[in-house]
Amino acid sequence: MEPLRASRARDLAGAGPEPANRIIDPSPLLGSWVNFDAASRGLSRVVVTSPGAGGGMTVRTFGACSPAPVDWGEVAGSPFADGVTLSAAVGFTAFYDLGGMTVMLASYLNKRLLVVDAYTRFHDGSGRAAYFARDHFHLP
Amino acid sequence: MQAVTLMRAEERLPDGAAAPGRISDLSALLGTWFNTDKQTGGIARMVLAGTPEDFTVHAFGAASPELLDWGTAPAVAYAASVASPAGMAFSGVYDFGFLETSLAAYTKSGILVLDTFNVFKDGSGRSNYFSREFFHR
Repeated sequence: MEPLRASRARDLAGAGPEPANRIIDPSPLLGSWVNFDAASRGLSRVVVTSPGAGGGMTVRTFGACSPAPVDWGEVAGSPFADGVTLSAAVGFTAFYDLGGMTVMLASYLNKRLLVVDAYTRFHDGSGRAAYFARDHFHLP
Repeated sequence: MQAVTLMRAEERLPDGAAAPGRISDLSALLGTWFNTDKQTGGIARMVLAGTPEDFTVHAFGAASPELLDWGTAPAVAYAASVASPAGMAFSGVYDFGFLETSLAAYTKSGILVLDTFNVFKDGSGRSNYFSREFFHR
Protein backbone atom coordinates (compact mmCIF):
# COMPACT_ATOMS: atom_id res chain seq x y z
CA MET A 1 0.00 0.00 0.00
CA GLU A 2 1.24 3.48 -0.81
CA PRO A 3 2.17 5.60 2.19
CA LEU A 4 -0.23 8.40 2.96
CA ARG A 5 0.80 11.70 1.46
CA ALA A 6 0.86 14.81 3.60
CA SER A 7 1.18 18.57 3.29
CA ARG A 8 1.85 18.95 7.04
CA ALA A 9 2.06 16.78 10.13
CA ARG A 10 -1.63 17.24 10.94
CA ASP A 11 -2.62 15.39 7.74
CA LEU A 12 -1.27 12.23 9.34
CA ALA A 13 -2.07 12.81 13.01
CA GLY A 14 -3.48 9.54 14.31
CA ALA A 15 -4.29 8.22 10.83
CA GLY A 16 -3.70 4.49 10.80
CA PRO A 17 -2.47 2.43 7.86
CA GLU A 18 -5.98 1.22 7.01
CA PRO A 19 -8.37 3.67 5.39
CA ALA A 20 -11.58 3.96 7.33
CA ASN A 21 -13.70 5.66 4.65
CA ARG A 22 -15.21 7.96 7.20
CA ILE A 23 -18.33 9.92 6.41
CA ILE A 24 -18.53 13.22 8.21
CA ASP A 25 -21.64 13.51 10.34
CA PRO A 26 -23.13 16.98 9.85
CA SER A 27 -25.58 16.70 12.75
CA PRO A 28 -23.69 19.08 15.11
CA LEU A 29 -24.24 21.79 12.48
CA LEU A 30 -27.90 21.19 11.76
CA GLY A 31 -30.58 23.68 12.67
CA SER A 32 -31.91 27.15 12.05
CA TRP A 33 -29.14 29.40 13.33
CA VAL A 34 -30.14 32.94 14.27
CA ASN A 35 -27.70 35.84 14.43
CA PHE A 36 -26.79 36.64 18.02
CA ASP A 37 -26.83 40.33 17.06
CA ALA A 38 -30.42 41.17 16.15
CA ALA A 39 -29.18 44.45 14.61
CA SER A 40 -26.64 42.77 12.33
CA ARG A 41 -26.44 44.20 8.81
CA GLY A 42 -24.85 41.01 7.54
CA LEU A 43 -26.52 37.61 7.73
CA SER A 44 -29.64 37.24 9.79
CA ARG A 45 -30.18 33.49 9.67
CA VAL A 46 -28.47 30.35 8.38
CA VAL A 47 -30.41 27.13 8.05
CA VAL A 48 -28.34 23.95 7.83
CA THR A 49 -30.09 20.74 6.87
CA SER A 50 -29.12 17.24 5.86
CA PRO A 51 -30.96 15.12 3.33
CA GLY A 52 -30.16 12.02 5.38
CA ALA A 53 -27.54 9.29 5.37
CA GLY A 54 -24.41 9.87 3.35
CA GLY A 55 -23.09 12.92 5.09
CA GLY A 56 -24.43 15.57 2.72
CA MET A 57 -25.69 18.91 3.90
CA THR A 58 -27.37 22.00 2.54
CA VAL A 59 -27.15 25.62 3.61
CA ARG A 60 -29.83 28.27 3.23
CA THR A 61 -28.80 31.82 4.06
CA PHE A 62 -30.80 34.96 4.74
CA GLY A 63 -29.24 38.41 4.38
CA ALA A 64 -30.20 41.12 6.87
CA CYS A 65 -32.19 43.74 5.03
CA SER A 66 -35.14 46.03 5.55
CA PRO A 67 -38.09 45.54 5.45
CA ALA A 68 -37.46 41.78 5.23
CA PRO A 69 -34.43 39.46 5.12
CA VAL A 70 -33.23 38.46 1.64
CA ASP A 71 -33.43 34.74 0.95
CA TRP A 72 -30.22 33.69 -0.78
CA GLY A 73 -31.59 30.24 -1.51
CA GLU A 74 -30.17 26.85 -0.75
CA VAL A 75 -26.75 25.55 -1.76
CA ALA A 76 -24.75 22.43 -1.01
CA GLY A 77 -22.39 22.74 1.92
CA SER A 78 -19.23 20.78 2.71
CA PRO A 79 -18.80 19.58 6.30
CA PHE A 80 -15.40 19.28 7.99
CA ALA A 81 -14.28 17.35 11.05
CA ASP A 82 -11.77 18.42 13.68
CA GLY A 83 -9.12 15.99 12.46
CA VAL A 84 -8.40 13.28 9.90
CA THR A 85 -9.63 10.46 12.16
CA LEU A 86 -12.80 12.16 13.40
CA SER A 87 -16.27 12.11 11.94
CA ALA A 88 -18.31 14.76 13.78
CA ALA A 89 -18.57 17.98 11.80
CA VAL A 90 -17.18 21.12 13.42
CA GLY A 91 -17.31 23.43 10.41
CA PHE A 92 -18.49 23.87 6.86
CA THR A 93 -17.95 25.84 3.70
CA ALA A 94 -20.56 26.92 1.17
CA PHE A 95 -20.36 29.02 -1.98
CA TYR A 96 -22.95 31.41 -3.35
CA ASP A 97 -22.92 32.87 -6.84
CA LEU A 98 -25.45 35.66 -6.52
CA GLY A 99 -24.97 37.14 -9.97
CA GLY A 100 -23.27 40.41 -9.18
CA MET A 101 -21.26 38.89 -6.37
CA THR A 102 -19.82 35.65 -5.08
CA VAL A 103 -19.68 34.77 -1.41
CA MET A 104 -17.66 32.07 0.30
CA LEU A 105 -19.04 31.15 3.71
CA ALA A 106 -16.38 29.69 6.00
CA SER A 107 -17.94 28.53 9.22
CA TYR A 108 -17.10 26.66 12.41
CA LEU A 109 -18.59 25.81 15.76
CA ASN A 110 -17.22 27.54 18.85
CA LYS A 111 -18.83 26.00 21.90
CA ARG A 112 -22.55 26.49 21.22
CA LEU A 113 -22.10 29.31 18.72
CA LEU A 114 -21.79 28.97 14.97
CA VAL A 115 -19.27 31.47 13.62
CA VAL A 116 -19.81 32.36 9.95
CA ASP A 117 -17.17 34.32 8.06
CA ALA A 118 -18.32 35.68 4.69
CA TYR A 119 -15.74 36.48 2.01
CA THR A 120 -17.55 38.57 -0.62
CA ARG A 121 -16.36 39.63 -4.06
CA PHE A 122 -18.30 41.90 -6.41
CA HIS A 123 -18.46 41.37 -10.15
CA ASP A 124 -21.06 44.00 -10.99
CA GLY A 125 -18.82 46.96 -11.83
CA SER A 126 -20.07 48.85 -8.77
CA GLY A 127 -16.52 49.45 -7.53
CA ARG A 128 -17.32 48.14 -4.09
CA ALA A 129 -14.37 46.52 -2.36
CA ALA A 130 -14.26 42.80 -1.76
CA TYR A 131 -14.92 42.49 1.95
CA PHE A 132 -14.80 40.21 4.95
CA ALA A 133 -17.55 40.03 7.56
CA ARG A 134 -18.13 37.81 10.57
CA ASP A 135 -21.37 36.93 12.32
CA HIS A 136 -22.16 34.72 15.33
CA PHE A 137 -25.25 32.54 15.46
CA HIS A 138 -27.10 30.54 18.07
CA LEU A 139 -29.88 28.00 18.06
CA PRO A 140 -32.87 29.65 19.78
CA MET B 1 -24.95 51.75 -15.04
CA GLN B 2 -26.04 48.36 -13.80
CA ALA B 3 -28.33 48.44 -10.78
CA VAL B 4 -26.53 47.52 -7.58
CA THR B 5 -27.76 44.28 -6.12
CA LEU B 6 -28.13 44.14 -2.34
CA MET B 7 -28.28 40.80 -0.58
CA ARG B 8 -27.72 42.31 2.89
CA ALA B 9 -27.62 45.82 4.34
CA GLU B 10 -23.86 46.00 4.86
CA GLU B 11 -23.26 45.85 1.09
CA ARG B 12 -24.61 49.39 0.70
CA LEU B 13 -22.01 52.17 0.46
CA PRO B 14 -22.39 54.73 3.26
CA ASP B 15 -24.03 58.00 2.19
CA GLY B 16 -21.51 60.16 0.36
CA ALA B 17 -18.85 57.44 0.26
CA ALA B 18 -17.20 56.69 -3.06
CA ALA B 19 -16.63 53.12 -4.13
CA PRO B 20 -12.92 52.40 -3.69
CA GLY B 21 -12.81 50.45 -6.95
CA ARG B 22 -10.36 47.92 -5.59
CA ILE B 23 -8.25 47.18 -2.56
CA SER B 24 -5.08 49.26 -2.92
CA ASP B 25 -3.50 48.98 0.54
CA LEU B 26 -2.15 45.58 1.57
CA SER B 27 0.09 46.82 4.38
CA ALA B 28 -1.90 45.04 7.10
CA LEU B 29 -1.33 41.72 5.31
CA LEU B 30 2.09 41.77 3.67
CA GLY B 31 5.03 40.12 5.38
CA THR B 32 6.17 36.88 6.93
CA TRP B 33 3.73 35.45 9.44
CA PHE B 34 4.85 32.88 12.02
CA ASN B 35 2.56 30.48 13.83
CA THR B 36 2.20 31.49 17.48
CA ASP B 37 2.36 27.77 18.35
CA LYS B 38 5.88 26.57 17.66
CA GLN B 39 4.72 22.95 18.08
CA THR B 40 1.98 23.21 15.48
CA GLY B 41 1.27 20.31 13.17
CA GLY B 42 -0.39 22.68 10.73
CA ILE B 43 1.09 25.64 8.89
CA ALA B 44 4.31 26.90 10.41
CA ARG B 45 4.84 30.04 8.37
CA MET B 46 3.26 32.08 5.59
CA VAL B 47 4.64 34.81 3.41
CA LEU B 48 2.12 37.25 1.96
CA ALA B 49 3.62 39.28 -0.85
CA GLY B 50 2.96 41.18 -4.04
CA THR B 51 0.71 43.99 -5.14
CA PRO B 52 -3.05 44.49 -5.31
CA GLU B 53 -2.88 43.16 -8.88
CA ASP B 54 -0.64 40.21 -8.04
CA PHE B 55 -1.14 39.19 -4.43
CA THR B 56 0.22 35.81 -3.33
CA VAL B 57 0.53 33.49 -0.35
CA HIS B 58 3.49 31.18 0.21
CA ALA B 59 2.85 28.66 2.96
CA PHE B 60 5.09 26.17 4.75
CA GLY B 61 3.59 23.07 6.35
CA ALA B 62 4.92 21.85 9.70
CA ALA B 63 6.84 18.59 9.27
CA SER B 64 9.98 16.88 10.49
CA PRO B 65 12.87 17.17 9.85
CA GLU B 66 12.07 20.14 7.60
CA LEU B 67 9.10 22.30 6.80
CA LEU B 68 7.18 21.42 3.63
CA ASP B 69 7.29 24.23 1.11
CA TRP B 70 3.85 24.53 -0.44
CA GLY B 71 4.98 27.02 -3.07
CA THR B 72 3.15 30.17 -4.02
CA ALA B 73 -0.57 30.45 -4.71
CA PRO B 74 -2.72 33.39 -5.82
CA ALA B 75 -4.56 35.14 -3.01
CA VAL B 76 -7.56 37.45 -2.89
CA ALA B 77 -7.59 40.37 -0.46
CA TYR B 78 -10.68 41.59 1.40
CA ALA B 79 -11.36 44.85 3.21
CA ALA B 80 -13.41 45.36 6.36
CA SER B 81 -16.21 47.00 4.38
CA VAL B 82 -17.31 47.73 0.84
CA ALA B 83 -16.03 51.32 1.17
CA SER B 84 -12.52 50.53 2.39
CA PRO B 85 -9.42 50.24 0.17
CA ALA B 86 -7.44 48.53 2.96
CA GLY B 87 -7.05 44.77 2.90
CA MET B 88 -7.45 42.98 6.24
CA ALA B 89 -8.32 39.43 5.17
CA PHE B 90 -7.48 37.03 2.37
CA SER B 91 -8.42 33.73 0.82
CA GLY B 92 -6.49 31.29 -1.32
CA VAL B 93 -6.51 27.66 -2.45
CA TYR B 94 -3.75 25.04 -2.67
CA ASP B 95 -4.42 21.98 -4.80
CA PHE B 96 -1.86 19.31 -3.96
CA GLY B 97 -3.55 16.67 -6.08
CA PHE B 98 -4.23 14.32 -3.17
CA LEU B 99 -5.56 17.20 -1.06
CA GLU B 100 -7.18 20.58 -1.63
CA THR B 101 -6.68 23.16 1.10
CA SER B 102 -8.70 26.38 1.19
CA LEU B 103 -7.23 29.18 3.26
CA ALA B 104 -9.55 31.77 4.82
CA ALA B 105 -7.84 34.32 7.05
CA TYR B 106 -8.33 37.70 8.66
CA THR B 107 -6.31 40.08 10.80
CA LYS B 108 -7.33 41.30 14.21
CA SER B 109 -5.21 43.44 16.54
CA GLY B 110 -2.03 42.54 14.68
CA ILE B 111 -2.72 38.80 14.73
CA LEU B 112 -3.56 36.83 11.60
CA VAL B 113 -6.23 34.19 12.21
CA LEU B 114 -6.14 31.41 9.63
CA ASP B 115 -8.85 28.84 9.02
CA THR B 116 -8.10 25.95 6.68
CA PHE B 117 -10.68 23.66 5.11
CA ASN B 118 -9.04 20.47 3.85
CA VAL B 119 -10.56 18.03 1.36
CA PHE B 120 -8.78 14.72 0.66
CA LYS B 121 -9.02 13.43 -2.90
CA ASP B 122 -6.79 10.36 -2.60
CA GLY B 123 -9.26 7.77 -1.37
CA SER B 124 -7.22 7.34 1.80
CA GLY B 125 -10.33 7.48 3.97
CA ARG B 126 -9.05 10.41 5.95
CA SER B 127 -11.74 12.83 7.06
CA ASN B 128 -11.92 16.24 5.50
CA TYR B 129 -10.91 18.54 8.31
CA PHE B 130 -10.95 22.09 9.60
CA SER B 131 -8.15 23.85 11.43
CA ARG B 132 -7.71 27.25 13.03
CA GLU B 133 -4.33 28.79 13.76
CA PHE B 134 -2.87 32.13 14.84
CA PHE B 135 0.10 33.97 13.38
CA HIS B 136 2.23 37.00 14.19
CA ARG B 137 4.67 38.97 12.06
